[in-house]
Amino acid sequence: MQNAQSVALQLEKVRDKLPLLYERDDILLTMIQQRGDVERVSSRNMRLPLQIRPGGKAGLANMDGGDLGRGSGTVYDVAQVSPIFFRHAVEITKLVEYASNSAEKAIENTAKREVKNAMAQFRAFLDKVMQTNGNGVLGTIGTIATSGLPSGVAAQFTMAKPPGAQLFYYNQTVQVYDPTLTTNRGSANVLLVDPFNSLIQVDALPTGTSVNDVIVHDGLTGAQPTSLFGILYHQTNATTGTWLNLNRATYPVELATPAVNGNNSAITPGAVRLAINKVRKSLGSNQVSKLIAYTALEQEHQWEQLGVTISQIIKEGAGGRASDLDLLFTGEKTMAGVPIKSSINANQTRVDFLDLSHWGRAVMQDIDFYDVGGQTVFPIYGTSGGLAAAYIFYFVTGFQVWNESPRSGSYINNLAIPTGY
Amino acid sequence: MISTSEIRVTRETHEAPAAVSERLLIAGGANFYGEANFRVVWGGSRLTWIGGRWTDRDASGNVIRETIETRRVPKYLPVNRWHIERWMPAESYGLPEQWEAQTAEVEDGIRILALGPYPARGEYEHCFTLADAKGGFLPLSPAACDWIVRAVEWAKRQPRREQGGAIAVREARRNRDWNREADDLLDDAVPAFHGAPFVGCAG
Repeated sequence: MQNAQSVALQLEKVRDKLPLLYERDDILLTMIQQRGDVERVSSRNMRLPLQIRPGGKAGLANMDGGDLGRGSGTVYDVAQVSPIFFRHAVEITKLVEYASNSAEKAIENTAKREVKNAMAQFRAFLDKVMQTNGNGVLGTIGTIATSGLPSGVAAQFTMAKPPGAQLFYYNQTVQVYDPTLTTNRGSANVLLVDPFNSLIQVDALPTGTSVNDVIVHDGLTGAQPTSLFGILYHQTNATTGTWLNLNRATYPVELATPAVNGNNSAITPGAVRLAINKVRKSLGSNQVSKLIAYTALEQEHQWEQLGVTISQIIKEGAGGRASDLDLLFTGEKTMAGVPIKSSINANQTRVDFLDLSHWGRAVMQDIDFYDVGGQTVFPIYGTSGGLAAAYIFYFVTGFQVWNESPRSGSYINNLAIPTGY
Repeated sequence: MISTSEIRVTRETHEAPAAVSERLLIAGGANFYGEANFRVVWGGSRLTWIGGRWTDRDASGNVIRETIETRRVPKYLPVNRWHIERWMPAESYGLPEQWEAQTAEVEDGIRILALGPYPARGEYEHCFTLADAKGGFLPLSPAACDWIVRAVEWAKRQPRREQGGAIAVREARRNRDWNREADDLLDDAVPAFHGAPFVGCAG
């Protein structure tokens, strides 16, 4: 039996565990997965019929022979969504096996370790893409440095904040596009990520790379590429562009998510209440009970600094009798009564109030190993044409995220980032 | 002819018992107006101003009407729970002109303050809801009052810098939890010693 076949057997043993490893309660993708709908779809577009505008004409009537006028009907339209595929490639070299004195055990350990690490990384990648606005842009170049860098580093980019360098990871392949997302300047590998200083270093500087260029994830091609429809795609008050194949200009009110401008100031109770009330006014009070406040750790901390809430102290307080207090309270940290879900990947200047019962995923392929005729592990070839001392396997998944009611949420943007972050 | 008229309760109101309020005043202290820093309010009794364009819908979600007005409505949801509020000083809301700039909405040429007038004397804000672990109703019993007082006293003792540290600790714990769960899952799928039977050896 070849070694790759043995690894394949180990991978098969963990295959049914993949969905469990894929989920994690603190990431947006899983929240949508757990609370929203999942629709199984083919390669054709999934259609979401929307009742966009009310119909009928009400008014005073003259029943003494008056003209009762004409009527009108409800306006319906159809949003459409089609899945896109993501892959995560994992290579294992022969050398890692020699870390143990037992060949069989080494293969088991290698398979387990790589599956765990790769799944954590793949999930983190998808969660990062979920923070974007549907075009795969992970960041915008603020400044470029090409001198005084370590050997092998072609350039250092200071990334504009938000999101800074938060959506990148080490060894990721990225592509540089011009600011209009028309010209793909080329690709590079990330050699260093420093989210605290908003820096990334890359091994190549594609020709023409300039300040204000944007960096997208690997695999995207052509002008105006399409990636996962994330928070910034569904939660916006833009009145131009398209949303799930609908022209925003056609329904400028109905497709716009209510917004509160933070004006580069720190978050206040007033701004939070404004954002929540916008949902109450448009959809009714009961809708608010379904909201969650999705935000970055920075804004969560800022909210705590206001000193309004004490539940987090009960929940998170170290030692003492914190657990006793937990027994009585839900322990949920809230923002004006709305549960807070924070993420390290969320935009540092926003608080998004989401009603995830209106969100869902159109899924064509659940997370799984890439499989060709039952084979999940593939050999790597060396430059000579002979086998390389390594093999490769892939995780793949195909889905897209939809939201059937953009007005069911609201958001605060342009909030100041607290010092120390 | 038979009359079918009936009374429908639209909003239930309650006041917190004076004894509870007094205990919270002692536990949480008073602001510079002499009012309690913490208080307990019933959701259906605690009202606030909300101004702007209201879209009213029927039970099926169909739009009935749209109006531009300021309404006095329950501030917190759910309305059938006790909520604990904390007093916030006026400066928490920025300057009056900032308040106006941020909260003013113009609808059909009508300018309206979405949150009502500036809270010049400060305002009470939602701190937490008295509910069980699943969010269910909890009565404002003496035991619950004890818990609230302890929570308030706990809160007073915590320096704010520790709150930021608590977030970092939580994130690290999440990572550890996931790693442990992942290891458990994978060990379950691929057991130790390649699935071969083994016995423990007394040491």
